[in-house]
Amino acid sequence: MLDFDQITDMTEDGAYFASDYPVNIYGLSEQSLTVEFGAVITEELLSLITEFNQLLWRNPFPGLITTIPAYCTLTVYFDPLTVLGSDLAGAYCFDKVSSYLKKLGETRRVHSNTAANQYVIPVCYGGSMGADIFTVSKANKLSEAEVVERHTSAQYTVYMIGFVPGFAYMGGMDASLATPRKAVPDAKIPAGSVGIAGMQTGIYPLETPGGWQIIGRTPLKMFDVNRLQPSLLKGGDIVSFKAIGFEEFNAYTER
Amino acid sequence: MSMKISIIKPGLLSTIQDMGRYHYLSQAVPVSGAMDQLAHRLANKAVGNDDHLATIEFTYADASFKAETDVLLAYSGDGAFLVYNDQVMPAEKPLFFPAGVTLKLINNPMGVRTYLSIAGGWEVPDVMESKSTYLTAGFGGFEGRALRKGDVLDNNDSLAKVSKEILNELIYRGLNYPNWRISRESLLPEKRNTIRVVLANEISWFDATSIISFLTHTYTIDIRSNRMGYHLNGKALVRRIKKELLSTAVTPGVIQVTGSGELVILMADCQTTGGYPRIAHVASVDLPLCAQLKPGDEIRFSEISRDEAEELYLERERDLSLITTAISLKYIKI
Repeated sequence: MLDFDQITDMTEDGAYFASDYPVNIYGLSEQSLTVEFGAVITEELLSLITEFNQLLWRNPFPGLITTIPAYCTLTVYFDPLTVLGSDLAGAYCFDKVSSYLKKLGETRRVHSNTAANQYVIPVCYGGSMGADIFTVSKANKLSEAEVVERHTSAQYTVYMIGFVPGFAYMGGMDASLATPRKAVPDAKIPAGSVGIAGMQTGIYPLETPGGWQIIGRTPLKMFDVNRLQPSLLKGGDIVSFKAIGFEEFNAYTER
Repeated sequence: MSMKISIIKPGLLSTIQDMGRYHYLSQAVPVSGAMDQLAHRLANKAVGNDDHLATIEFTYADASFKAETDVLLAYSGDGAFLVYNDQVMPAEKPLFFPAGVTLKLINNPMGVRTYLSIAGGWEVPDVMESKSTYLTAGFGGFEGRALRKGDVLDNNDSLAKVSKEILNELIYRGLNYPNWRISRESLLPEKRNTIRVVLANEISWFDATSIISFLTHTYTIDIRSNRMGYHLNGKALVRRIKKELLSTAVTPGVIQVTGSGELVILMADCQTTGGYPRIAHVASVDLPLCAQLKPGDEIRFSEISRDEAEELYLERERDLSLITTAISLKYIKI
């Protein structure tokens, strides 16, 4: 019998590896494998993956290095030599780690009672900081003020961090703001730029090339190597935006 | 013992790298690290270092540097030969040079990348638990950037016991090296242009003919190839299932297929997540071969099973640990 550190909070829920979706585990490399929990982006899947990830870190197997949550998957990195030397069931590392994850996945699901982190991101909209707000307003037949109003009144959920360090994939944007990407990407988009691409909105943490329609800029450092958690956001966080003026933007950056 | 070199000519792209940055992948910080992990580790082993210490990764040749102090160095890789006084220095062997000498890297047509180690490892600050340089975001390594003319690089002067013993044996007023060397060739397969791969999760998304093409045709490394990944020229692959892959984790060695059916091998600085279907991943023992590929090189893929890839990985690790043991036994009396 495995003795997992379960919280004895009684719930009516089933296991993490639910029977309605056959959880698929596949090798990604000799040091990593991926657990696929579903095939559609939903907030429910996000919390399942977040909770399973937390359960795994409360009950790590020998050789666990790191995990990467994504929309429908959790990827687990391990040290093959340590895994092989462990008494986990199976002949190969892949079998040993997947058998462990399956057993963990078959335990009864416990909802984490830790509330999601909520962030209010100040953004200076339009002008030189968000020149493409014009394109977004024209494409959606809205005034620039309405674009700002709709962008700041929605609540966004961070699904995953990917693309470049600290870049958050967020869901929850008002559909009336959807605007196609630029046909020709900009060579340089300043760090902190807030953009729209199709149904997505996001913040560029670093100065990179990019094709998103830039509607504003935040003075916050979305990625800072000097912080304990360099990426400001992580999967599961709740985000909203607040409009600030140019002076306030400058006051932030001088701080 | 503290050691120092100064860069006279940095070459095309020279960065500090180690075995990579694994603990921040969920924040989309790439693995980075030495592209050719084998050459990196052998260069370290030759001077008695732990494998994880930082080396300099040189891209091609045309670089030179000066030993500002006595130095104990080693190099490994296929991008360049280390030259002193017009003589090619032996690779995978500790090399002692007295203060003041100038060393050059001259072209080796075999490959791309060469690793230079120093006893104690190159000393730069740890950023997110690694000394690897990630140029796109400008962090890690030497001030987050490629080396430039005039840069002065120090070692970490607390040497391992083996490094101290090697140094004691070789310290001299001129160039000196021992008669032993590590045999890198014995660790590498004979056919360096055949890359072993394990088929990936989305394999069934591809048309059967395309899978056969992938495993039988020759692919050529495109000019669009760097530390992030290599684009390949060759027969485009056709998809049977055209659905979209929701972005999920990828790792160096993964072979993605773009919308136009083009193959891309992801390398050390690749993004942590990707949305292109994957046809295979390169067996980790063959990633060092990929690190030495240059535009125009032709490769073929040969399929092995996931279990075989793991056996090869374990065999390689055993061989590498035997090398470490052999060097320690040579210098440390029990």
